[in-house]
Amino acid sequence: MASVRTYAIIYVVLLVLGTAKFVFFEFDFDYWTAISGVMLLAVVKSLLIAGYFQHLIEEPRAISYMMTVAVFMVFLLTVAAGFSIQ
Amino acid sequence: MSDLPPKTSIKRWLVTTNHKDVGTLYLATALFFLVLGGMMALLFRAQLWQSGGTGILSGDGFNQAVTAHGLIMVFWFLSPIASGFANYFVPLQIGAKDLAFPRLNALSYWFYLFSGIMIALSFFQGGTFAGGWTMYAPLNVPTYTPAVEATTGGTITVFALILFVLSITLGTINFLVTIHRSRAEGLGLWNIPLFTWSWLLTVWMMLFAFAALLAALLLLGIDRVMMTQYFATDQGSGLLWAHLFWFFGHPEVYIVFFPALGIMFETFQTFCGRRLVGRKWVIIAMVLVAVQSFLVWMHHMFLTTINLEIKTLIMATTIGISLPFDLMVFALIYTMVKGRVRFTTPFLFSLGALVLFILGGITGVFLGAVVLDYEFRGTYWVVAHFHYVMVSGVTALIAGLYYWWPKISGKMYSEKLGKLNFAVYFFGFNLLYFPMFLAWETPRRVFHFGESMQIYHQMATVGAFVLATSFAIMFITFGHSYLYGPKAPDNPWKYSRTAEWAIPSPPPLDNWSGRPSYASGQLEFVDDAAKATDGGVATETPAAQQEEEHADHASIWPFGIGLGTFVTFIGISGLTPYVYDFMESAVEAGNAEIANGLPAGPDAEPNIMFPILTVIGLMILTYTLFKFGVEEFNAPEMAIAERWPFGGIDNTKMGVWVFLASDVVVFGAAIGAYVFMRIHMGWTEWETIPFASWPGLLNTYILLTSSFTVILALVMAERQNKKGLLATLGATMLLGFAFMGVKAYEYSVKFGDGDYWFSGLEYSLYYVTTGLHALHVILGLIVAGFMIYRVLSIDAYLEDHRPVEYFGLYWHFVDIVWVFLFPLFYLV
Repeated sequence: MASVRTYAIIYVVLLVLGTAKFVFFEFDFDYWTAISGVMLLAVVKSLLIAGYFQHLIEEPRAISYMMTVAVFMVFLLTVAAGFSIQ
Repeated sequence: MSDLPPKTSIKRWLVTTNHKDVGTLYLATALFFLVLGGMMALLFRAQLWQSGGTGILSGDGFNQAVTAHGLIMVFWFLSPIASGFANYFVPLQIGAKDLAFPRLNALSYWFYLFSGIMIALSFFQGGTFAGGWTMYAPLNVPTYTPAVEATTGGTITVFALILFVLSITLGTINFLVTIHRSRAEGLGLWNIPLFTWSWLLTVWMMLFAFAALLAALLLLGIDRVMMTQYFATDQGSGLLWAHLFWFFGHPEVYIVFFPALGIMFETFQTFCGRRLVGRKWVIIAMVLVAVQSFLVWMHHMFLTTINLEIKTLIMATTIGISLPFDLMVFALIYTMVKGRVRFTTPFLFSLGALVLFILGGITGVFLGAVVLDYEFRGTYWVVAHFHYVMVSGVTALIAGLYYWWPKISGKMYSEKLGKLNFAVYFFGFNLLYFPMFLAWETPRRVFHFGESMQIYHQMATVGAFVLATSFAIMFITFGHSYLYGPKAPDNPWKYSRTAEWAIPSPPPLDNWSGRPSYASGQLEFVDDAAKATDGGVATETPAAQQEEEHADHASIWPFGIGLGTFVTFIGISGLTPYVYDFMESAVEAGNAEIANGLPAGPDAEPNIMFPILTVIGLMILTYTLFKFGVEEFNAPEMAIAERWPFGGIDNTKMGVWVFLASDVVVFGAAIGAYVFMRIHMGWTEWETIPFASWPGLLNTYILLTSSFTVILALVMAERQNKKGLLATLGATMLLGFAFMGVKAYEYSVKFGDGDYWFSGLEYSLYYVTTGLHALHVILGLIVAGFMIYRVLSIDAYLEDHRPVEYFGLYWHFVDIVWVFLFPLFYLV
């Protein structure tokens, strides 16, 4: 388990990344660049929360694989369904 | 333990958490629903005796009977009877003392039973759901069902399914933890019996497939009660339902069939007197099917407007999924060739299942081809194929009943009666379903057909009654055996090799007299206490052994929680007329706008009984959940067990992670629904609903901070700092309330502008998705409040901080969901 200092650093980074998402749409970015940037930041934030706050990096790899499969299922359903109506 | 009343006492069956008792309850209840679903079938087969119907059912009655038959057989009979076998025999086959979470196991059963009572009650609330078991949109929402009446009973059916899926989810978590973490010493995954293998893959499929169904049902339930518009628009609603339903629905075919397949493997091995040919390859084939099952769902949508590229791709994956099945079928046939067959009743049923499945499988390949499917879709070809597959599964499940009956009841059955049962069953089955192939031009779910089809339908109707008779013979056989049958030995089958046959029939409450172990390469029972006194190394402390000896098997609270949820769900199901009245008055007063005007409303009038039931149900739930939370309950633990690949983590933590994996799919499907509908509408055509993005950003800061306080709570618990623990948990609660406050303000601003959840599709998506998230926050707040109470009252979590970590896992997950909701609904 990490130290309070590490948790605090992660927390500050999360706040900064959260603000950065907002900033993408306040400045003059191309719409699709902004979306891509925002979703990338969301993924990074999620990995930080799961890895450090939920201690996924310390758990057996099988837990990470299981969660990856769950996320993959969501992507599979969403992307395939979205593609099916193109 | 002595806390469990005898089997002759009704109280025993209300409080038991023992896996064999729960298994027995599952089996008995599933057989009851088999009879109920079968009676529905007899009713509509009688109606189908002549074209236009015999008049035994009204048009709506026919629709209700057909729909209820499908729903009851698929959900309330097929899966639960397999759950019954799994509950009883999986722990025995892997050498466990019970499931990992016995009280949750009991709760799974009570959710199942009460969900079944709900669907039975739905007939008496204006009629049950009548739009077919696939519940296609838009016939599943009040707006489009005035012709068949959007009844309260229809909504109760939807909520019954939600309760059933909750039961499945709990069962899934329980079995995944049990099979992965409670296997006897030396029992690697490759070597677990094939029924347990089939069940392990079944529950893995269930974990992801039923989560998608839960998402679909939640959205549908909200549509029906709150008049949101997920499935009521002409903007992709039908496709959305079809994607969500069949993402569950196709894996469901294998979820239903795999346990039957496992029984076929077991019985073929036992009655051919040899190991299954190609056992390793059969396991690999089953794993392949489990994976592929999630890649074929759109072959149920060939007649929708999905594009040709995806249809072609799905046709290929569909043909591909038949290949592993070919391997399994050949393995079974070759096992017979290489072995010496003993034609007992269980084997006859298993062999019959194989023959029927081959026919069902081959006729399904036709439907996997796009061009042929254009012709066959919606006809009796589908009905015949579907029943040859699903009811071949039933045939194998009956084999399982005969196979394990001596173990469960302690009595042998009459082989003569059993074989008579098989002969009548096999004849009735084929007389019922084969003519449907010949009458394939008949449209399904309709009782009008061409005159030339009449003879086939009459044959099928006679076959239905013959098949029903075979079930009567089955019940008589088991009844006769129970009353007059000779006592069954531990192992009545010469070549059975799995662990359940190594103990008495019926098995004792605690299963084993010693600790089962396969460390030497074969099953042995180790006496750990004796080993220790002989100078060996003791593997458990005396205190741990004593605790194991005092494992509990009784709790009334699972029943109470089941009852509370049942009453709540019934209450909620009847609230639609109130919501409609509110909607109508808001529109008429000019306080609300609806994109396509006021939709058609529900059939029922407001009835005060339903709000009262909702409140009573919530009160029962609050009380029973609290009692469940504070109850001392020692689940049987296994100090020595094979746990690959989930070693290094405790049972409860693994259970929480499995639950979160399921919740990822539930939430992901809800977010996926938003993405899909937005793509359908045109991504950039979308109008952002929140009045500003700052409330979303503010709530992001609040939730991130609450994640930080939760992790600090864990640190405080580890340091045994009571004040610090209370302060950080209290801060988490305050932040949760702050989040809800911001959300309430945001909603109130929208309401002030006349924008409600029923105002249009974008509004429904916004309110429901963020509302589901808010519901998760509320549930987290309730748990946090309970934990603070426990810290204050008994200094909880200072000695064992793990529950704080489990709560944190959930809370951080809720935070992660918001990480995605914020940009999707407030920014892009």
